[in-house]
Amino acid sequence: MSLIQSIIRATDTATRGKSKLNAPRSAIQRYALAVASVAVALGCAILTNRYHFRGVEFPLFLFAIAISAWYAGIGPAITAFVLSSLAFNYYFTEPYYTLYVTREDLVYYLVFLLFASLLTWFSIVRRRVEEALRKSRDELQIEVVKRTQQANLLNLTSDMIFVRDMDAVITYWNRGAEQFYGFTEKEAIGKHHYELLRTVFPIPLDDLVAEVVRTGQWEGELEHIKANGEKAVVLSRWSLQRDESDRPTAILATNTDITDRKQGEEQIRALNKELAKKAGELEAINKELEAFAYSTSHDLRAPLRHMVGFTELLQKHASSTFDEKGRRYMATILEAAKKMGTLIDDLLAFSRIGRVETREANVSLDYLVNEVLSEMPAPDGKKIGWKIRELPEVYGDHSMLRLALVNLISNAVKFTRTRSRPEIEIGCVEKKNNRAVVFVKDNGVGFDMKYAHKLFGVFQRLHSTEMFEGTGIGLATVQRIIHRHGGRVWAESALDKGATFYFSVPTQEN
Amino acid sequence: MEPAARILLVEDDPRDVELTMTALEDYNLTNEVVIAHDGEEALDYLYCRGKFASRDNQNPAVMLLDLKLPKIDGLEVLEKVKSDEKLRVIPVVVLTSSREERDMVASYKLGVNAYVVKPVDFHEFVNAIKELGVFWAIINEPPPGSIRKK
Repeated sequence: MSLIQSIIRATDTATRGKSKLNAPRSAIQRYALAVASVAVALGCAILTNRYHFRGVEFPLFLFAIAISAWYAGIGPAITAFVLSSLAFNYYFTEPYYTLYVTREDLVYYLVFLLFASLLTWFSIVRRRVEEALRKSRDELQIEVVKRTQQANLLNLTSDMIFVRDMDAVITYWNRGAEQFYGFTEKEAIGKHHYELLRTVFPIPLDDLVAEVVRTGQWEGELEHIKANGEKAVVLSRWSLQRDESDRPTAILATNTDITDRKQGEEQIRALNKELAKKAGELEAINKELEAFAYSTSHDLRAPLRHMVGFTELLQKHASSTFDEKGRRYMATILEAAKKMGTLIDDLLAFSRIGRVETREANVSLDYLVNEVLSEMPAPDGKKIGWKIRELPEVYGDHSMLRLALVNLISNAVKFTRTRSRPEIEIGCVEKKNNRAVVFVKDNGVGFDMKYAHKLFGVFQRLHSTEMFEGTGIGLATVQRIIHRHGGRVWAESALDKGATFYFSVPTQEN
Repeated sequence: MEPAARILLVEDDPRDVELTMTALEDYNLTNEVVIAHDGEEALDYLYCRGKFASRDNQNPAVMLLDLKLPKIDGLEVLEKVKSDEKLRVIPVVVLTSSREERDMVASYKLGVNAYVVKPVDFHEFVNAIKELGVFWAIINEPPPGSIRKK
């Protein structure tokens, strides 16, 4: 047995050294090796035999078979076995130089055959094992290369990727995670991820893992603390890895930094809250205004009516007892009360502009201007030179735009009254970016531009009531209407040189 | 002149009552005017209870109703009247200072027969009241069961 072991050891040694030799590749080479090794063994055996060293042939042939089995494979091994058996029989069992075997040598020959076949068999099995091992080692190497490449790929992304086993221990930590969190791979691997990152979970970790195990994945926002103590919000996607027997083995966590986005959202939320508060305040103010307008409509008008009513009654009953002065006083009371009535009505109409719902649609200004002009009371005696240019179609509330035009045009009519040849021009100066600028130009008394900022204020007047009647609410109404349409209104004028009022309105729905 | 029918004037302000009565005087319509000073009194009259418990059980030919009233306001009175089988036939004219659209819409939704905003101008006011009085108390045929001066 020790002989066989030594041979195996020898083949082992040969195997280890094999990488230096070039193993024969083609079938002919392999069979040639088998024949040659048997021939060499035979030569050596005959030579040693001649010098009367008996029993050397036995291991020599076994060695030849082993060499053939190892280097040339199964077929050549069997060939070596057969050739060795024949040679052994022919040269070294009595009677020599025949293939017969005497009874005395039969046992010796059979032992040789047994050893030779055992050796062949061992060699073949070992070779097979060796080949399987080599194959799996090669596969392993390929796998390692592949994995390394994958790991390198994972290092390319700026996402933070780590793998944790089912005990929450980190087993992989990519470069993204290293750079973002500030923990090196060495520091991270082997640690519990939730301890390392001081994670704040939206639900308990156990529940989260249970969900990953159940559904295979989870996605959500987590809070992590970096190595430098900074807080980070990440969008985390977890996916489960299972082994062949379907047991969960690890969880891959991919994290994207959303701290900035989160902060942005936070800011937007804060702003929205602020806005909602402001809107609430505004609504309250509007409600207040509405209540005010309502009580104005109701409570202020009643005493006014009584003033007027009873003054009239007084006039009727006691007019004869009053002198001229007394009658004038009464007339003044009446006039003042009526004026107050008009002011209240105007104020109400003005406040209504802000309160009523607008119904927006396409409105033809051409048509609207003609409509307004046809209903405009003719100025006494004088003929106005109207110049109506081409007007665009705009987008807005018909009745409101109409009211704005009525105010602007009646203003133009009013302030050209003192002219011998009043002229009013209506047109459109520009139309771009979904916006048209329309103007109403007159050759009336105009105004001093240094008071332009007062022009659109409520109850602001730039002329005395004696010269031109009015409550001073018309232009405020125009401005309010145009502002509600998202437009702008302004005027250009010089004292005694006429005035031009411009307003911009949208030409289509935005 | 045709016999005038009874007018129920629901008005809390004595000055408005006086002005209204002055206007109605010209057509001798004041004899048959009943005045209720708030919503409760108006309903007491219509249901013949309280201080009106002993009146003859007939409906007025028209009710002139102010909206802003103490205790029970005009819209509540209107709602009550228009949902009562016996009273719903009474023509109701809302006579108010309010030009507010929501009051007008609410009144019409409740089934008011006319909505009149009291003019600030005295002459207009007198004319409006006169026309109302003449129309509802003389020209209009009130529903059966209304009080008409014999």
